[in-house]
Amino acid sequence: MTQHGPGRDGFEDVAEAEIAERQRLSVVWIIPLVALLVGAFVAWRVLSARGPEITISFKSAEGLEAGKTKVKYKDVEVGLIEDVSLEKDLSGVVCRARMVAGAENYLRSDTRFWIVKPRVAGGQVSGLGTLLSGAYVGMDPVVSGKREHSFIGLEIPPIVTLHEAGRYFVLHSTRAGSIDVGTPVFFRKISVGQVVSSELDATDDFVTTRIFVRAPFDARVHTDSRFWNASGFNATVSPDGVTIDTESVISILVGGIAFEARDGSGAPLAEPETVFTLFESREAADRPNYTRTVAFLVQFDQSVRGLNVGAPVEFRGIEIGEVTSVKLEFDPKRVRFRVPVTIEIEPERIAGMPLAERRDHAALDRLVAGGLRAQLKSGNLLTGQLVIALDMHKDAPPAKVLWSGAMPELPTLPTPLEEITASLTQLVERLSKVPVEKIGSDLSASLAALRVTLVKSEGLGPALTNTLQQAERTLASTDALIGPDSSVNSELRRALLELSEAARALGLAAEQFQTQPSSVIFGKEGNQ
Amino acid sequence: MSRQEQTALEASCASCHDCGLLTRVPRGGAHGMHCPRCGAALHLRKPRSLERTWALVIAAAICYLPANLFPVMTVTSFGKAQSDTIMSGVIYFVSHGDWPLAVVIFTASVFVPLMKLAILTFLLISVQLRSSWRPVERTRMYRLTEVIGRWSMVDIYVITILVALVRLGNLATIEAAPGAVFFGAVVVITIFAAESFDPRIIWDRSATGS
Repeated sequence: MTQHGPGRDGFEDVAEAEIAERQRLSVVWIIPLVALLVGAFVAWRVLSARGPEITISFKSAEGLEAGKTKVKYKDVEVGLIEDVSLEKDLSGVVCRARMVAGAENYLRSDTRFWIVKPRVAGGQVSGLGTLLSGAYVGMDPVVSGKREHSFIGLEIPPIVTLHEAGRYFVLHSTRAGSIDVGTPVFFRKISVGQVVSSELDATDDFVTTRIFVRAPFDARVHTDSRFWNASGFNATVSPDGVTIDTESVISILVGGIAFEARDGSGAPLAEPETVFTLFESREAADRPNYTRTVAFLVQFDQSVRGLNVGAPVEFRGIEIGEVTSVKLEFDPKRVRFRVPVTIEIEPERIAGMPLAERRDHAALDRLVAGGLRAQLKSGNLLTGQLVIALDMHKDAPPAKVLWSGAMPELPTLPTPLEEITASLTQLVERLSKVPVEKIGSDLSASLAALRVTLVKSEGLGPALTNTLQQAERTLASTDALIGPDSSVNSELRRALLELSEAARALGLAAEQFQTQPSSVIFGKEGNQ
Repeated sequence: MSRQEQTALEASCASCHDCGLLTRVPRGGAHGMHCPRCGAALHLRKPRSLERTWALVIAAAICYLPANLFPVMTVTSFGKAQSDTIMSGVIYFVSHGDWPLAVVIFTASVFVPLMKLAILTFLLISVQLRSSWRPVERTRMYRLTEVIGRWSMVDIYVITILVALVRLGNLATIEAAPGAVFFGAVVVITIFAAESFDPRIIWDRSATGS
């Protein structure tokens, strides 16, 4: 600029510009600085809000959308599914989820994930909200255990989240019945819990069912509480008839487990994870639990149709045990079929029962000597069920207890019905002893003799005819004599008329006599 | 250079932006001048044009990243929230066959800001390198930047109107997301950057270079 000096081109009178201090650095650099700071702050916030990345594998990605589906706990967003991809072997899907910051504390090996979607199960409807908002991944956080970043998602939502107050109990049963995960648990017909799992024991001996009883109902479970299967409706056909019992309409549809505490028992509260027996039915649960059983064997030579395992063993009509097995055996030595029936008697049911000791030979021997016998009896005529009845039969044929087997064998008596059959058989036997053939031959001999007599009497014929003809003639003449037009007849009629006339006259005379006795002497008054 | 193509600078003169008074530039200093008549600051060129433009372009470039990475809009419909970035919106319209809309959004929201940043950066570098390459085209590019810049605000306007209009409670709600702020910042800052750039420098350099 210096080369264009003043005074050139006639600009001498142009005003001089003023010169001020020069600024070192423009303020405008504040703008990128602010942008950088804001950008860095936002980036830091985003990055710090990013929690750990986890993978969850599911069988199916139904309802899952990468970048949209959220991971929630108690409806609070704790993560986002960022990517859904197939497993390498196509056996399922792997979801990559970005959790929020701080979530790593809840990602332990026990943490569970599941897909929440509308579901109707276990008598209840859940996840209806997801109809509009779409499915999300539910999470059940755990604060203790090993940290984990890879999870296997549950196919069905867990029944109980780990933070729900209540207690778990274990039930043992021989069959699962209609009990499944989610089956309600009833206490006095109120649903107080659910079945958490139901699986076979490691030894396959029984089914282990874990249940969760919500607080405060878990305080109702005492050490002596009884659990029974309230699945569906329980129709029991017993010698007492048909009993139908149900816990609720829901339990008819989805099954159920009910429990009840013993009345008035001061049993302590059950600890969590206490093992209980799951009874088949309420009756089984209500039945007093006798700890001691004594097994006996009884043999029947007759049909045991109607005798089921579990059939009661009664003593004078009081149940004291039950049938535990009914078998059919073949004895090749004696070529005989036998039906050994094992019964279990609970001696505690009988006050003062001397059978308390299983091998108390003398007592049992005395009882049998006194007439203790087992008998098959019809428990229910309608259903044809049989019970085993024990009783003292004084007049029974003498028998002894067989101690040779694994369990003592009690002598048996034939059934009353069998006795009738037996006497009928005897009757038939006696009938068969009747000499029908001899009677027949005698009868035929008699008939032959009769025939000879008849042949001999054939000569009497003409004479008999003559006699008959004469008799006819005699009858004809008799008829002529006393017939309606015969003279004898008319005379006889006249005679009778006269006789009646005479009788009338006599009647009049008698009347006369009665009214005027004097007329006998003095004659009729009218005549005087 | 012909005689007719003499600039005010070459004549050691400056005109006041406010009152139009032509002043003579004093010897030895071109900075801190004031108009003797109205007192306005006098510049031969926009002061610190390159420095300011650089600062604004860098600021815009910084804001451009979050503007595209963050969602600009959150649509909540029937309880289902959906956040969309600019690109996801474009992809949404493309996948639904709304090509014209997709082109408009892409041009206004992605292409134009990016182009502005690129042109300004190119102009700055070329000026800094004292390039004399095609000054006419470069000036044309600058004018294009100035004219087209404000159209990028279309996106922001759309979001603003939607946020104000779509307030249907649970049925549908639209909310602006952080990306919109950054996007607005990009547009505004690039407008300022284009404003602060003095196209006369292009000619100064090319003139001195030649």
